[in-house]
Order: sequence, then C-alpha cells, then structure tokens
Amino acid sequence: MDITRAKIRELRKALDEKQISAEELCGEYFKKIKADDTKLLSYITVTEDKAKEMAAAAQKLIDEGKSSALTGIPLAIKDNICVEGVRTTCSSKMLENFVPPYNATVIEKLNADGYVLLGKTSMDEFAMGGSNQTSAFAKTKNPYDTERVPGGSSGGSAAAVSASLAPAALGSDTGGSIRQPSAFCGVTGIKPTYGRVSRYGLVAFASSLDQIGPICSDARDCAVMLNAICGQDAHDATSARADVPDFTAKLGQPVKGMKIAMPKEFFSDDIDNDVKSAVEKAAKSLEAQGAELVECSIPGLKYAIPAYYLIACAEAASNLSRFDGIKYGFRGEGRTFEELIRDSRSKGFGEEVKRRILLGNYALSSGYFDAYYKKALALKQEIIKEYNEVFELADVILTPTAPTPAYKIGAQDNDPVKMYMADICTVTVNIATLPGISTTCGYTADGLPIGMSIIGKRFDEQTILQCADAFEQGFEPVAPKL
Amino acid sequence: MAIDTNTIRHLCELSKLDYDENALEKVRDEMSDIIDLMDTIKSFDLTYDDTKDNNSIKFSETREDAALPSFPTEKLLANAENTDGCYVVPKVVE
Repeated sequence: MDITRAKIRELRKALDEKQISAEELCGEYFKKIKADDTKLLSYITVTEDKAKEMAAAAQKLIDEGKSSALTGIPLAIKDNICVEGVRTTCSSKMLENFVPPYNATVIEKLNADGYVLLGKTSMDEFAMGGSNQTSAFAKTKNPYDTERVPGGSSGGSAAAVSASLAPAALGSDTGGSIRQPSAFCGVTGIKPTYGRVSRYGLVAFASSLDQIGPICSDARDCAVMLNAICGQDAHDATSARADVPDFTAKLGQPVKGMKIAMPKEFFSDDIDNDVKSAVEKAAKSLEAQGAELVECSIPGLKYAIPAYYLIACAEAASNLSRFDGIKYGFRGEGRTFEELIRDSRSKGFGEEVKRRILLGNYALSSGYFDAYYKKALALKQEIIKEYNEVFELADVILTPTAPTPAYKIGAQDNDPVKMYMADICTVTVNIATLPGISTTCGYTADGLPIGMSIIGKRFDEQTILQCADAFEQGFEPVAPKL
Repeated sequence: MAIDTNTIRHLCELSKLDYDENALEKVRDEMSDIIDLMDTIKSFDLTYDDTKDNNSIKFSETREDAALPSFPTEKLLANAENTDGCYVVPKVVE
C-alpha cells in the first residue's frame, strides 16, 4: 500500500502501532513532493529540515505513549497562515521575504498536538481569486488535468491533498476558497462557522468573512482536523464563545429523517448540466438512505455576488492599507514618504489585488457609501434572514459547490466579472456566517471531479459532517493519475 | 461607462496606487465592467438596519486591561528592509 494515500486515522494507527516512524512518514511525503510537485506547483515553500526536527519530537511523544490525534501527522499549511520562522508570502511579491515572528493560533494548536509541517501551499494572491493563477510564485495546476485550474484561493492545499502530497492541509475561506478548490480537486473541505476557529495569524482579507478550515480526503478526516483547531482565542475578538463538541461524534450515524433543503436558485440554468445532475443524483442517494428532500428558495442569491464583493473588497481595502513597505514587505523607491508608499504598493501588489482595493475604496468613498456598501450590508441581513427561514424547514442545505467543474487555465484571464460570477454557489455561506462542507459527488465524462456543498446551521458542523460522511460511505472516489 | 478616468484617478489617490496612462485606461474599462455588475444591487429596495445584525454568535469579551509580554524589538525589525534600531524612511521634515 502507498502510505501517502492513507487517511489521517490510518496514519495514526500506523504510527501508534510502530508500522512506520514519524520521520519515515514525512520522508515518504517529501519523496512524493519531489517527484510530483514540479508538475503541480502546489507548494511555495517545502520545510524538509524543520519537518525532520518536528517528526523526531513527535516520535518521542509516540514512543512515550503520549500521542494525540495529529502527533506525527504531516500537514500542509496555506501560505497566508503565519508559522513562526517560516516564510509566509500570501503568494504576493509584497510578502515575498516575510518571515512571521509569531505563530497563528491554529499553528499553536497543531504544535500542541505534535503535527509535522510539510510546507506552505500556494494560493491566489492574498486569497483573492478562484483559480490559483493570481499567485506571484506558483500557479498551481489541477491534479486531474494539469491544463486546468485547481480552483482557489486554497488551490495549493487542495491540489496537494488530492495528489497525496499531504494527507491533509489547512486552507482559508472568505467566499468559497476552501470549498471550491476542494470540489475542483476531488477532495473534502469544510468552512467552519464564522468565529469557530481563531483568525489570529491568518493574514486578513475580509475580516467579517475569513475563516480557516481543513482540506482532507474525506469528512472523517475533516472532523479530526476540526477537533484540533477550533476554540475561542483571546487573541481574536471575533472568535466565538461557543462550546466545541467532538466533531467525530455524529459520523456514521444514519441520515434517516434528516431534512435536506435544495434551494431552487442553486439549480438554475447558470449551473452546468453535469454539475446539476451529479448533485441531484447525490440527493437521491441520501434520500434512499432515509433523508427527506425539501424544496425551498433563497431569492437573495440574485444579489449575492455584488453584496459579497462590495463587503469583501471594502474590508480588503482597509486591511491591505497596512502594506506600506515601511515595517515589513516589499519596499519600492521614492524621494518622499508618500512616493515610497505608493511605489511599494503599486509594485508589490498584483493586478487582481489592486482591482479589489480600488473597488473597496469606491464602495466606501463619500457619495457611494450608502448606495453600495450600506446596500450590501442590507443584503447581508436579508440573506441571513432567508437562510434562517430555510433552517426552520430543514437540517441542512444541499447545493452545487461551483457552477462548473475545473476550467482550463487562462479561460477567465482578463475577465474579472466572469471570475466573480463563478463564486455564486459559495459566497452566501460566508455572508450568512454558516458552516459548509464540499465533498465529491461525481465526475464528468472527462474524469473531472464535481463537488456538492452541504450547508449547516450556525455551529452545527457535526450534522454537515454526518451528512457528507453518509454520502461518502456509499461513493467510490477516483484518485487523479499524475 | 460606469466610471470615468477622473474617478479612477481619485480612487488611486485613496488607494495609494499608481498606474501609467495606458494601464489606467485598461483599469478604467475593467472597473467599469465590475461597477456595472455591482450596480445590480441598486434594484434591491431594502435599507440597512444596524439594529438587526445579531447572528446569535457570542464573540469574545474584552480581556482585562493588563500589560502582557510583547515582541522583542529586534524580532519585529527583522522584516524591515532598512533598519538602524528603528524603521528608516525618507526624510519627512525639512
């Protein structure tokens, strides 16, 4: 058996039963990364030396019988999550040489579990994009077809897990950036409820929407990862005061009687037929297990894209104003303070990031604020209300994760509007602060994965994990051939 | 066109970004398309009510106002390009 294809829980067993050591295990992944990642470009930084030290420390814990769920488990981390002493670029020239002086809270939690860092994965620059092609350093390719995008912005994390270059990874999701690449790369990724996971140490894009979550090969591994990273954090004022349950507790429980809503707007003509039929087939499969399908409507979806982009870009314009080339990051040239800042920002940011800063400042500027930003906030309230109403009728909501399977590299270049519209299936989940999980529900005739999303009530990740797991247990995934 | 060149220049001022003339025209055209998409929101006729933002999420309470250890100066300066024990910038006063 190829150990790099094993699930986290199988690796746990292999490590605890001494079938393999932590050093040997991470060594297997580095062999695979060296062999295959030249074709995919999923990693920006590979941390082999650090991994050996971490693996040795983890092995000591295992030998002493003190292992926990992730002790000795190698993981990849999206390159917008700060790891002390390890270059964290956000795929931007602006942070090309930035080495964080501290760990993100999620990294502190993984450290406490004794994980092993394989490296930092590529992403769209500052998490702005859905293709990984706005990365300044590694324009990741899809493991199922290297002429296609892996999705984004956590495309490096999804591609690495899909190609078995990591058993699991962390990503971040502001408008679908965990779920959409998971769908494109045929893996499972969960965006937790806003506030469930600390954002401390996650380089901010849109602070009211950003959330860290895991990308794994199935829902069961996602539950294991969530158990390790969730919880309130004094460093993040928006981390929620909510009890953290055992996310594995409902796995394996039948979905008999579970009410699954399918909002009609998510199955419109804008959604590719292959995608629609795969998701509908998956719904029938859950129905056959005893779940009840419920028709419903989210009319606010019509305005979701402008609402999302106005809120996200307004927050991004503010968050990214900190990049001035003075304290850290790319430094340009200039005879005056003002010239230095403008040159640093103009040369340090890529085109998509600059467009979003301009849009954000447009929405916030005098004369436009009420018409755009406040209108977007009104829509946010409406979308939350509509989701709350659906959850009075149903336990979970089932939708496609993306309107199409992975598209060809370059297909959306120079067309930001087309790029933004492709986020239609995912952004409302962030706007409404809900948890959502994407899992593979089928393949196109060309063998490209199709993802479906299961959306849950606030802080009810357990039920969406249960539902995704129930589907996965009867579904045979097809691994990519590199 | 949803947005003109002068508005783009104003946004560049607010954003502290520079484009040369050719690039500015391209950005104006792209931003016009984007603003057209954003304008669809105008047909939605609800008004924002800031008393209705409760998502039932209870966030952290403010911690006690106590001094806690901070980062060593040299660690923070390690990411700055020019340092002399402080951040070095072009002269800002005559």
